[in-house]
Amino acid sequence: MTHHRLQLVAREAMRVALAAVLPVCAGCAGSDAASGEAASGDTLRTGRLVSAAWARPADSGATSGAYLTIVNADSAATELVAVTSTAATAAEVHESMQHDGMAHMMARAAVPIAPRDSLVMQPGGVHVMLLQLTRTLAVGDTVPLTLRFAAGDSLVVRVPVRAP
Amino acid sequence: MRGLIAGITAGVLLVSCDTRGRFEGVAVDPPRAMAPVAFTLPDSTAYTLGGTPDGATVVFFGYTHCPDVCPTTLADWKRVKAQLGRTAERVRFVFVTVDPERDTPAVALRYARQFDSTFVGLSGDAPTTARTLELFGVAAAREAGTPASGYLVSHSSQQFLLDERGALVALYPFGTRWEALAADLERLL
Repeated sequence: MTHHRLQLVAREAMRVALAAVLPVCAGCAGSDAASGEAASGDTLRTGRLVSAAWARPADSGATSGAYLTIVNADSAATELVAVTSTAATAAEVHESMQHDGMAHMMARAAVPIAPRDSLVMQPGGVHVMLLQLTRTLAVGDTVPLTLRFAAGDSLVVRVPVRAP
Repeated sequence: MRGLIAGITAGVLLVSCDTRGRFEGVAVDPPRAMAPVAFTLPDSTAYTLGGTPDGATVVFFGYTHCPDVCPTTLADWKRVKAQLGRTAERVRFVFVTVDPERDTPAVALRYARQFDSTFVGLSGDAPTTARTLELFGVAAAREAGTPASGYLVSHSSQQFLLDERGALVALYPFGTRWEALAADLERLL
């Protein structure tokens, strides 16, 4: 299960996205430079946008989880292929699954996002695992995450830390 | 699944749906008597996992490197506690690590208290952990991770509700709405 939303929802998500986080264009290339354009209005036609982002509080050295909704406004499919953060030694995209009463996690090397669709991360599903935190994440802090996509484009978001 | 660190219990819990509707969780009927288990807290005081006189005990097994399922459950406990108000003072919320190798007693306790200062986090030595998992029918298995994650632990993800005698009366599979546990605690207490 990849928790993809339908196209109609994606359009609304784009509208509300701007209030949630400030996407910053980092190393943007080609049409994906539109992720910077996204911050300037609600006429996004290409690029990516992140909304509903939050990360769990955790001690320095410990593990945290982060959740984002990533809107792919492009007419072409993409894949989330890597996440990095200066607040963690490593970041990995995982998916929690339940089988026979047991919780399992599986690393997701690449998570596809269909054209005009969104990837919705949520507890119990797809999430970003932030490993060996280099600093304590307290409620009210923000965590920088760099999202890298299959075409080589990337997006930097500042994710608020909050207690769910 | 590699490196089994704890086997599934030999016994199978006999779980039945309670047609009387006494529990919104999965009722264990008749309740299953559970032997108390002795743990040691970081300050070297003894802590007995079992019955809570005139109260109830909620137990969940997980590990502190778990970024998703475990914190989701403990965050739900915060909601349960808030919903119960004063009644929550008679409920012990107990997190038991299935990964005592990385989760020392201090780490387990601090982890639980990050969610609420009254929550308890327990880490036993290897024999205590094995005995506790067997008692509750909890399975835990190491799975390969990466250099950064070391290893992951797959583990049984349900919560357990013990009555004042320490008997297991209901289970809450992961994904059960927290309101179900809150309602059952209100009814039980």
